[in-house]
Amino acid sequence: MKTLVLYAHPCPDSFNAAVHETVVQTLLARGWDVDDCDLNAENFAPVLTEPERRSYHDVPANITPVQGYVDRLQAAEALVMVFPVWNFGYPAILKGFLDRVFLPDVSFKLHNGGVRPGLTNIKRLAACTTYGGTRFRAWMNGDPPRKCVTRAVRYACGWPKTSYLALYDMNNNGSERLGQHLSRVKRAMQDL
Amino acid sequence: MRVLIVYAHPSAESFNAAILDVVRHQAETSGAQVRVIDLYQEGFAAVMSAREWMQYEDCAVNRSGIERYCQDVSWCDTLIFVYPTWWYGLPAILKGWLDRVLVPGLAFDLPQKEGDNIAPGLSHIKRLAVFTTCGASWWLTQFVGAPGKRTLLRGIRLLCAKGCKTAFGAHYSMDSSTSASRADHLQKVARKTDAFLKG
Repeated sequence: MKTLVLYAHPCPDSFNAAVHETVVQTLLARGWDVDDCDLNAENFAPVLTEPERRSYHDVPANITPVQGYVDRLQAAEALVMVFPVWNFGYPAILKGFLDRVFLPDVSFKLHNGGVRPGLTNIKRLAACTTYGGTRFRAWMNGDPPRKCVTRAVRYACGWPKTSYLALYDMNNNGSERLGQHLSRVKRAMQDL
Repeated sequence: MRVLIVYAHPSAESFNAAILDVVRHQAETSGAQVRVIDLYQEGFAAVMSAREWMQYEDCAVNRSGIERYCQDVSWCDTLIFVYPTWWYGLPAILKGWLDRVLVPGLAFDLPQKEGDNIAPGLSHIKRLAVFTTCGASWWLTQFVGAPGKRTLLRGIRLLCAKGCKTAFGAHYSMDSSTSASRADHLQKVARKTDAFLKG
């Protein structure tokens, strides 16, 4: 299965880098075709520009500045997002991917006056993430990244099978807990 | 009163620019000192670099390159965000401002020992407001859980003073807005800003 892995962490020594490596290696071992998109390494520019904002609704011209990323998204049968939660949300570089690439006629299509999901090519959706705070703290805040993945992104993909693998309380996690999480990620990628 | 407005929209002719004008005007006429950070105009770099991430927890150096923004955050007692909601959340440039500027030692203190929680660092901020526009309807925004609003008014509020006063104003369904609905909304923003700054 063709999988787009969207990865957003600047540092190769981070725990997220280990999660990313586990995701990619597990999928490759299954014989899946992995398009590994490391947003920081690719120097993705996350800020929607003034001309892009102006032509946001002009289909298909709106796609031109990010055509390559749109092609990769539309070629995917599975989407796996790997990112840390910073300040109760995505890192800016991943948020900008939604802003600039999940465009009208890409993430949703207008059909007979109604809105339809645009990324129905994606049959499996997963997010692997880490939080500095506890799960209770995230829940108190309404857990914005969880909802954005499991509701908004999931809707854009036509409501596929979805898993959200989060590890909370990163400031207090020891190596045992981190190792357990990597095993959990591996199992989830084997079952994706 | 010291009001810091953080503003993010690429176009000077946008409705968000009009909202900013109203908020700034109301704040200035209330007698407050006002500072505005216009992230697009300043070309703010949204992406936290590997170097910044590695020194993130080192309070001796983690403000390097962002000193001015940290000073503004320390200076204010009132923080107001004005931005368009994109993909149910903050524009990347504003999310990047939170990521890069709200560092440990300024916005919060990391746990000192195992089992401790994050300690708030913005207890000098007694008022927090959000004025935004949403392409989505109110219903759809609630269904997705209003991630942008919650990131700021719950997440960032946890770092502010206990009992921090909040205000929120959104114009929903922007794509079907009319000049009348937008004018109404600007009046609402003016009223809400007044009440928010008075209390």
